Amino acid sequence: MSWFIARRCLGLVLTLWCVFTVSFLLMRAVPGGPYSGERKLPPEIEENIKHRYKLDLPIYRQYLIELGNVAHGDFGLSMRLLDFNVNQVIGQGLPISAALGIFALSYALVLGLSAGIVSALYRGSWADWLLMSLATVGIAVPSFVIAGLAILLFVFAIPVFPAAGWGTLRQLVLPAMCLGTLYAAEIARITRTGMLDALSQDFVRTARAKGLSHLAVALRHALPSAMLPVVSFLGPAVAGILTGSVVIERIFAIPGLGWHFVQAALQRDYTLAMGLVLLYTLLLYVMNFLVDLSYGILDPRVELK
Amino acid sequence: MLMPGRVWFLIVMLAGGFAAVGYAIYGGRLPPADFTFVNETEVASIDPALITGQPEGRIVNALFEGLTRLRAEDTKAEPGTAEKWEISPDGRVYTFHLRKDARWSNGDPVTAHDFAYSIRRLIDPLTFSRYSYQAWYIENAKRYNLGSSTLQPGDAVEIELNPPAGATNTVRGEVLYGKLIRIDGPAIKEKANDEKETARERVFVVQIDGQEHRFQAADETQPVANGVERCRQVLLDFRQVGVRVIDDRTLEIRLTNPTPYFLELLGFYPFAPVHRGCVEKFGKPAWTLPQNIITNGAYRLVARRIRDRVRLRRNENYWDHDHVRLNVIDALSVDNRTTALNLYLTGMVDWVTVPPAEVLREFLKTKPPRNDLNPAPQLTTYFFLLNTTRPPLNDKRVRQALALALDREEITRVATGAGEIPALSLVPPSMPNYTQQPCRPFNPDAARKLLAEAGFPDGRGFPKLEILYNTDQAHQAIAELVRKQWQRELGITASLRNEEWGSFQDSQQQLNYLVARRAWVGDYLDPNTYLDMYVTNGENNNTGFSNRQYDKLIADAAKEPDQTKRRQLLESAERMLMDEMPIIPVYYYVSRNMVRPRVRGFFNNLQDTHPLHALWLDPNVDDRSPRPNEYMEPVK
Repeated sequence: MSWFIARRCLGLVLTLWCVFTVSFLLMRAVPGGPYSGERKLPPEIEENIKHRYKLDLPIYRQYLIELGNVAHGDFGLSMRLLDFNVNQVIGQGLPISAALGIFALSYALVLGLSAGIVSALYRGSWADWLLMSLATVGIAVPSFVIAGLAILLFVFAIPVFPAAGWGTLRQLVLPAMCLGTLYAAEIARITRTGMLDALSQDFVRTARAKGLSHLAVALRHALPSAMLPVVSFLGPAVAGILTGSVVIERIFAIPGLGWHFVQAALQRDYTLAMGLVLLYTLLLYVMNFLVDLSYGILDPRVELK
Repeated sequence: MLMPGRVWFLIVMLAGGFAAVGYAIYGGRLPPADFTFVNETEVASIDPALITGQPEGRIVNALFEGLTRLRAEDTKAEPGTAEKWEISPDGRVYTFHLRKDARWSNGDPVTAHDFAYSIRRLIDPLTFSRYSYQAWYIENAKRYNLGSSTLQPGDAVEIELNPPAGATNTVRGEVLYGKLIRIDGPAIKEKANDEKETARERVFVVQIDGQEHRFQAADETQPVANGVERCRQVLLDFRQVGVRVIDDRTLEIRLTNPTPYFLELLGFYPFAPVHRGCVEKFGKPAWTLPQNIITNGAYRLVARRIRDRVRLRRNENYWDHDHVRLNVIDALSVDNRTTALNLYLTGMVDWVTVPPAEVLREFLKTKPPRNDLNPAPQLTTYFFLLNTTRPPLNDKRVRQALALALDREEITRVATGAGEIPALSLVPPSMPNYTQQPCRPFNPDAARKLLAEAGFPDGRGFPKLEILYNTDQAHQAIAELVRKQWQRELGITASLRNEEWGSFQDSQQQLNYLVARRAWVGDYLDPNTYLDMYVTNGENNNTGFSNRQYDKLIADAAKEPDQTKRRQLLESAERMLMDEMPIIPVYYYVSRNMVRPRVRGFFNNLQDTHPLHALWLDPNVDDRSPRPNEYMEPVK
């Protein structure tokens, strides 16, 4: 177990280093820079700016200096949000994206799991058919369409929720639902498959033979092993949802991290883009690590080495 | 119970999760503001020297006040921090007298020293200001701003030494004054020919108190040749720049040329003063944080949440605070125009600056007309740049043919939404005291004739054109239409290329395009803001256009004290531009604000500038009010 954790930690460091290197090179390979603007800068001022951001050094020295800073957790000042450093931008945005994400994910889990279980238990019935069709629609329809419909319905037709913004629980409901729908649909389908698989296993037949009720068999014996694929789906999903959704955050004007991802890349905000990419890498890695750990807990057949 | 450990784990996780949600939502909750508006995108900064955009301008104009301030009605200059001023007969020397009761938000008086400090900071090449060129009208400010490249032997110079270790990044190093004797290149010349010599390699030989010193811009860790002293930068002596503090409340500014719009420029945000103590104590950018910043405008900064809002509260130390009527203002940053409109339609904001064009088109058709929408001409032109350095566009006849084949009526009818006006000149017709000089209108026959003269009858043999625009649906629609028109009228083919903003800027500046879109918002109410862009190698030229006569007209106009003569010079410059056609005007913008009827003190004006200090709310008016507010009154 401890060997497993140590190996993963080493893997994390290596992954972060690779991601850092690739991002660093990609960012400098595209045209434009943090100092490009509508009006050409006088040459000497451009030179000063490059000197200030160390862009006048040979690329390998820039790389080494930035690697050193990042290793110390110092991502530097944002190059486009001039009044903040990268840690402040992430510090303000991450809790908001995470709060929205937790809500959306709870909603998705409750909805997806129940739909999946019901579908599996009543396989072939009209309920199964209806739920799975809804799930297919949920996966196929992009979130901006769902958000648009939700706004038409719950903001203009039946005015129960505010149109956008952040600061109250009511403002959270619509975006969380729109964000959660896709995940709910995925979870429903995965749960159904997992449940069907588990229900046909020998240990379930044994449990039935012991005379346990239909429900007890399903929830106590079949569900834990049916959860395994759901858990492996949730790992990357949590990482994605915690760092924010570009579309939902933009439509509902939520000040999370999602839109920063896009803007930082488009505006050549080298430092902020680097901070966000590494944050995402870290989250993704940690979540996958947790998934592997939970396998050991959920599935007695798995042993972590 | 089944798996108690796991159940507990689950419960703890859930509780933790929801506690985090609660904290994230309610942690920094603010009570509602009196007035809320959508301020478009997140502001890049609130440092007056660093900003260039309108969203930033709205906030900075509320936080800081320059020597003059711009009137809400017509953006003409009125007394701001300066209560009065004298102008010398030749129009070149301004003497400002500051108010006795002008104070910073911490109670300090605002003095002439604050303005001198702020102007020097604006034009310091190490401030990286993008709008520092607005100060170039001041005597020698351009030379100071452009750094050591403008220095000549014999000049009085100042040498800024490297600041002491541990100083904040806004503190200047010790400054020495001397006379420049000569500039040496790098001690050892081993560079390839294609590599440019950079300013940081120059060695400045300076005489200080009769002694010769050698300086080079270098960090303390950087090696320098023997006998060379390290410094941060060598600039023209700031005492040569036309800014002089006469006493605490009197400031003299000398200009290179009489500049009729200089008072309006001073009300523009780059010239806002900053509090030296605050800037130097906290350093950059920490001084702009709400808990640190000291301001002198009608409002002070309460909170700044990235991509959420900027909250402002009335500044009781402001000299005119009796006339500031809104207590708390929220400026929301909402990137999506439809979202902004939704917020407005559901009553959550009082003013939205740019509703989406397709909705606007519908709103303008409603009967009876809406009482919150009144598009008015604005000082902005949309046009296409032609790269005059590349064939076939280096031929004037080809450029003219392209312009003649452009059906602008169709563009404003089909592609834009708010009643934009087809443009035949670069300077918009709303420019006061000026007669715009139109190019020839849509005339496909004349266009075909010119193209044939240039050697491309019916477009035969004409190379493929490419229209470049920054990624945006509206620009795409226009470019698409132009492509069709040129195909239809001239028989030439064009393709479209879109690039996102950063690369788009680079392509323009490196002349890496054939045809590109552009728009220009007048910085001040004078045709010069448009026309001086096209002087040879102008920073905003981006077309490769170069014409000696044109340069001379612009230079003469700048020096001309007589207003009528100056106007004639500028008019002939535009006439020349509209004949040479390095650019093709397409349409003039109209403002697109939607403002609730209860908002008062909001005026349509040419620069679409609406100072927050002038706004107030009429408590007796609701959204259905038939009585028009100032905004709905017909534009004069």
